[in-house]
Amino acid sequence: MKRLIAAFLAAFVLLLPTMAAAIDIKQITTPLGIKAWLVEDKSTPVIALSFSFVGGTASDPAGFSGATDLMANLLTDGAGTLGAQAFRQRQEDAAASLGFSASLDRMNGSLRVLSANRDEGFELLRLAMVEPRFEPTMLEQRRAQTIASLNQAAQRPASVAGRTLMTTLFAGHPYAADPEGTREDLTKITADLLKKRAAAVLLRNGVTIAAVGDITEAELARQIDRTFGSLPVGTSPALPPQWEPPTKPRTVVVERPVPQSAMLMALPGIARDDPDWYAALVMNHVLGGGGQQSRLFNEVREKRGLAYSVSSGLRTYKRAALLVVQTGSANERVAEAIRVIKAEMVRLRNDGVTDQELTDAKTYLSGALALSLDSSSAIAALLHSMQIDGLSPDHLTRRAALIAAVKLEDVRKVARRLLRDEALTTVVVGKPVGIASDP
Amino acid sequence: MRYPGRRALLGGLFAGAIATPPATAFAKLFAVERRNAETFTLPNGLQAIVLPSRRAPIVTQMVVYKVGSADETFGKTGVAHFLEHMMFKGTEKVPGGEFSRIISRNGGRDNAFTSFDQTGYHQTIAAERLELIMRMEADRMTGIRISDREIVPERQVILEERRLRVDNVPAALLDEAVREQLYGRHKPYGMPVIGYPDDIRKLGVNDLSAFYRRYYAPNNAVLIVAGDTTTEAVRKLAEKYYGPIASRKTEPRRRPSKGPSNLPQKVIRADARVAEPRWSRLWLAPSYRMGETKHAYALQVLARLFGGSETSRLWRTVVVEGKVGLSAWASYSPASLGLTSFDVGVHPAPTCGMADVEKAVVGEMKRLLDEGVKPDEVERAQNQLLAAAIYAQDSLASGPRLYGTMLSTGGTVADVDAWPQRIAAVTPADVQAAAEHVWRDSGAVTAMLTPAEGSR
Repeated sequence: MKRLIAAFLAAFVLLLPTMAAAIDIKQITTPLGIKAWLVEDKSTPVIALSFSFVGGTASDPAGFSGATDLMANLLTDGAGTLGAQAFRQRQEDAAASLGFSASLDRMNGSLRVLSANRDEGFELLRLAMVEPRFEPTMLEQRRAQTIASLNQAAQRPASVAGRTLMTTLFAGHPYAADPEGTREDLTKITADLLKKRAAAVLLRNGVTIAAVGDITEAELARQIDRTFGSLPVGTSPALPPQWEPPTKPRTVVVERPVPQSAMLMALPGIARDDPDWYAALVMNHVLGGGGQQSRLFNEVREKRGLAYSVSSGLRTYKRAALLVVQTGSANERVAEAIRVIKAEMVRLRNDGVTDQELTDAKTYLSGALALSLDSSSAIAALLHSMQIDGLSPDHLTRRAALIAAVKLEDVRKVARRLLRDEALTTVVVGKPVGIASDP
Repeated sequence: MRYPGRRALLGGLFAGAIATPPATAFAKLFAVERRNAETFTLPNGLQAIVLPSRRAPIVTQMVVYKVGSADETFGKTGVAHFLEHMMFKGTEKVPGGEFSRIISRNGGRDNAFTSFDQTGYHQTIAAERLELIMRMEADRMTGIRISDREIVPERQVILEERRLRVDNVPAALLDEAVREQLYGRHKPYGMPVIGYPDDIRKLGVNDLSAFYRRYYAPNNAVLIVAGDTTTEAVRKLAEKYYGPIASRKTEPRRRPSKGPSNLPQKVIRADARVAEPRWSRLWLAPSYRMGETKHAYALQVLARLFGGSETSRLWRTVVVEGKVGLSAWASYSPASLGLTSFDVGVHPAPTCGMADVEKAVVGEMKRLLDEGVKPDEVERAQNQLLAAAIYAQDSLASGPRLYGTMLSTGGTVADVDAWPQRIAAVTPADVQAAAEHVWRDSGAVTAMLTPAEGSR
């Protein structure tokens, strides 16, 4: 078995250029000057578009949290001469899937349509962005659904933990606000406010576009100008101020009547353009990255049976970055799970990773990206996020070399930089035994 | 261009036979997909399906065993799922815990699932590494060593999984109680896949080993490989690694052909952790395999047009016009070895009670039963179902899952291939007849999730 694996590893180096070559990214600029990335792929008669505008929920007007999210929802609830039902019917008849959502920093959109129905798909997208109706009845319906969703989230331990983590870490910063809003703010939002919100965010010069599928460069340029060309040019909402990370450890317990406590632990993370980014990726993979090989998986789940799910991940926002560990453990045992996780962080900070762990992490991280690129929408989403991260189209060929260049000492350095007890925020939701909130 | 109608679709489906180029995108896709599935069977009974796709240089292998939690007995619930966890614990050749680590250090991902009728194991990896995963999956078909040392911590993991998925979630606890009523206590499908906590605590080496020996055999499994490979390559590797494993006599799988005699029933769960109430009604329904199976395709069309989207009948009546609900849905899953269920549900609006919601839903059902459905709404529902299936096949993961589910519930590759035609052949009269057959009080359980008294 050992020898077989070694042979496979040797073969793997050959695979990476193949993968990058399979994704041939073209950069286009339309006659109206809108830029986009395209991967033309005729293997399925589908077109997928992934795009976003500068301006997310963190730029919600003061006192109106949830406005951007609600606006995004309502864009597909009637446009032009079409009421909500008629608009949806046209989408269904064209088998087109069209949607908008808001994150902290951006408003995201996507379109997926069969290439035979291309014109109709882009026309519905244009209508949604340029002529949304914001009908009062639809506003009431979406408002009520959003409030119900907030009520439900307030009872789900993992959701409560996520929310509490953000309000604790980002107290006083716009990132603290719930992207869906608060009940109080939601009740004040009017159709007029949503129209203004759409006008402020949906700007031709604030858009980033990626397209994949059965469409040529010239045809994509034509469709983009037709769809996005009539949006106004203007100044996108300003980004929030830079985040000041906490300097003291903090534990917050939120009581909920459940047998299993949800736990989140967060440290200040690392920016996407930081020179140590790839070393941090390796470190996170060894600590608690995806799959069943991480130290946390082994120590918390395999050896001790303390949890079903335990993992760590790097989160990046425009003005902040986090390293977040998550798990869920019976109320009686969650304190032990936390103790084990902290011990693993200390071990990684003090001793770094082994040669074997470094090698394994590199092969996984180089190969895993390709595994998720099996649908048009997935490839479009990758192309979009590459642009948001400021990467060049040849990043897919360069990425493997950047990962391969990470040395043991780089990982040790970034572990010492990131895994600091003095900056640790812990949130536990449930009825944990032996854990209390810091005053 | 705007609306590829059903007739155009049908034309496309038979386009190969009449040698005309496909007229629509739907047709083009079906032509591609229909060429895709290739199949062979090894002498030891292992059936293999290959779904080649050159999209990316990756492959997915899935092995689905024709066994699930519905093959368990009361007192030993959760054994199928517990065994799925133990399958990662090691053989003579691949020591404990190494299985996933080897996949990961070769740049791949792996996971597994347990359901009522099947248990599946799957990996996705660079195409060159297909041999590695086929060799390891074949190795654990018979080679797993199950010991107390591994069982003890894993039992805690499974109890945590149960807390996460069920005990922490009021809606999941209600669903468990509803199944007991709909399918019968201690009966297949009436017991939870993950098992009852008392059973999970008692399961030991002997239970797990016996279940493993009884059901894990090449003649009780389906191998599905999708991605950048060929049938010849898969056949060669399958012969090499799965070929030497001896077939074994397996026991017939039994499912009750009738539901409990004490229906209709009502199940209410009042829970302090419920923020938003939910009303739903479930009926015992035929599947592809049991009961009045002729309704199985019409029921999929019925679920779609009655409550499958925001333009469906139920959504329009309950959410848009009546404003008694915040959302509404209908669902039906036909791939089951035994009987299955047809479900409808509503999240009531804040000012409305369960009675208002029930009245609105029952009224809409009655309208359908009295007046039937229109040809154009049937056609729309059919197109939506077919389009969803096309998009699902744009992803590498969904093909293996689809074939795995069909073949482990008594279906064939031909059934999967014929699905578009069978959906397209459903008539308005079929939809009405299916609704009349299923929407009967003698097969229904009404379920209500409510906040505990005084908690709201």
